Amino acid sequence: MNKTLSLVAAAALMSTMAMAKEVKIGVVLPLTGPIAAFGQTSKGGLDIAYAQNKTLKNGDTVKIIVLDDRGDKAEAATAVKRLINKDGVSVILGEVASSISMAMAPVADKAKTPMITHASTNPRVTKGKKYVTRACFIDPFQGAVMAKYAIDNGMKTAVVVTDAKQDYSVGLSKAFKKAYEAAGGKIVKTVLLSSGDKDFNAQVSTIKQEKPGIIAFTGYYPEAALMVKQARAMGIETPFIGADGVGFPELVSIGGKAAEGFMYTDHFNEAAASTPEAKAYVDAFHKAYNKPADSMGALAADGYGMILAAMNACIDEGKGSDDKECINTHLRGTKGYKGITGEITINEGGDAVKSAVVNAVKDGKFAYKTTVNP
Amino acid sequence: MDFSTFLQQLVNGISLGSMYALIAIGYTMVYGTLRLINFAHGDIMMVGAFFVYLASSMGLPFPLAVLAGITGSVLVGIMTDKIAYKPLREAPKISLLITAIGISFFLENLFNVLFGGVPKAFPAPEYLTTSFKLGEVILPLMVIVIPIVTVLILGGVLWVLYKTKYGMAIRALAFDIPTVKLMGVNADYIISIVFGLGSALAAVGGIFYAISYPSIDPLMGIIVGLKAFAAAVLGGIGSVTGAVLGGFILGFTEIFVVAMFPDLGGYKDAFAFFFLIFVLLLRPTGIMGEDLDRGRF
Repeated sequence: MNKTLSLVAAAALMSTMAMAKEVKIGVVLPLTGPIAAFGQTSKGGLDIAYAQNKTLKNGDTVKIIVLDDRGDKAEAATAVKRLINKDGVSVILGEVASSISMAMAPVADKAKTPMITHASTNPRVTKGKKYVTRACFIDPFQGAVMAKYAIDNGMKTAVVVTDAKQDYSVGLSKAFKKAYEAAGGKIVKTVLLSSGDKDFNAQVSTIKQEKPGIIAFTGYYPEAALMVKQARAMGIETPFIGADGVGFPELVSIGGKAAEGFMYTDHFNEAAASTPEAKAYVDAFHKAYNKPADSMGALAADGYGMILAAMNACIDEGKGSDDKECINTHLRGTKGYKGITGEITINEGGDAVKSAVVNAVKDGKFAYKTTVNP
Repeated sequence: MDFSTFLQQLVNGISLGSMYALIAIGYTMVYGTLRLINFAHGDIMMVGAFFVYLASSMGLPFPLAVLAGITGSVLVGIMTDKIAYKPLREAPKISLLITAIGISFFLENLFNVLFGGVPKAFPAPEYLTTSFKLGEVILPLMVIVIPIVTVLILGGVLWVLYKTKYGMAIRALAFDIPTVKLMGVNADYIISIVFGLGSALAAVGGIFYAISYPSIDPLMGIIVGLKAFAAAVLGGIGSVTGAVLGGFILGFTEIFVVAMFPDLGGYKDAFAFFFLIFVLLLRPTGIMGEDLDRGRF
């Protein structure tokens, strides 16, 4: 019985091998525009992962088609349509910003094309979507980690800084507040800003008056770098804690000395990479770029790896590597995938359950502090 | 809000307002002469900041880099005029406006290709970014320097316009280009001067902007350009003094919206533009604006 099965499988394998085909993955990233660093770093990691592995079990080759959305929601939604209808991709990888992923998700869902976002952490990205998965943890978890870390380090009063333009920031602020207050902390004030702005002196002056124990900054790095700089210039010594949106080299290059001590939760720190897969990736990354491996790149590599794992699982089932339904079933059913950013399991909502790290800027570098498990 | 915070917010208002004012002067000058809303103004600003970044990354000391930045922007400004606007002198104003938007997109994308979209740290020297402490109030050096520069430039522009032969030609052009040509004035040459001057002002604005907020990217000119345009319209577009006034009003509105209602701070742009609409409803030509058909500064 077993023998015949494997014979059949072998025959099937051979017949598919004989006509190995090309299966396409569409990638949508902000390669230019205000959050270009997210796209560029994601692409860097994706390129490493792609170079490491672009052939499936049955000999099919994987092709990635990368489109730039310039950090624009409408552009990203159009890109998804184009990738599905014109390029005929089997699966979509992207975006980074939650607001943008949320604009893409309905398009992919409607076209019954699986989409995996490697780095969008807002819960609403996957909510109610059958075909959307993610390779990262979600903001309620990240916000809770921020809150726990602050409370554990004796910072019991907080000012929350929210970027009103970003769903990511709004969701993260909510999650932080809930967890922080539940742990006995007090939110003394919420201050809003809007991404793209550069002058935060008014916000900073307001914060100064409140004298909080910690400033929870839930936005992205361009504003974080300028705000921490303006805060330090205003004589505010209060520590900042942010999340995965701030951990970019520009925080240090623009923030300079003011960014020292800026803490943030993140998906990955190469100092915490322990598995052989993670080490191989980090080595290849160093060789290619001669700089520390960042978390966006590692997440993009994991997203790509999960797609390949799902495609291979479909081949095992005797289905085509481009079978969208099958890929989606396996993406959503990912269990214990050994990724670069840790072990990834997808829950019934399509969200990844995995650990987070806390980093802090030290001597201009991102130093690893601790790992927090779900 | 306690008193020292109030004073601090006042300082912040001056800081932001003078920034807008400085940029708005250039906007309004080109408009006053050519009746062209130069939407590429904000992008020339960006070009200026990037040239300084480039020059100082090649090892030039900061003052020389600034000089290189201004010269580069002036050349870019004059070139845009020669290549894009000059063939359209006789065309309807709307064609010129569309071209300006095109130039704006072109510059943004060109610099995106050349430098990438990731924000870069502007090499502002430390002696320019220091601040003084007056009791509880922090007074950054730039808050003192920028208004002074704005006033100096305002004076300089007014002097050029009213005391020099070129200024007379510029003012004459603002009234009627064909007649001025009939008088034997080389209109194209004068228009080039206007663009050169406008670009120099944009570059100075861009450089000061980058010193105050040392993060530059190819799209940095869009929002500031829009705000400066709003400031120019608020003050009465075409009026140089109005532009300065508009800049300060806009800056103070934004700062005090955030100061009074931190919960609404993310929507300060909405407040600023709402205020603009309100003023325009009462005075359609802006605060200092007069008859739209007359050339004036």
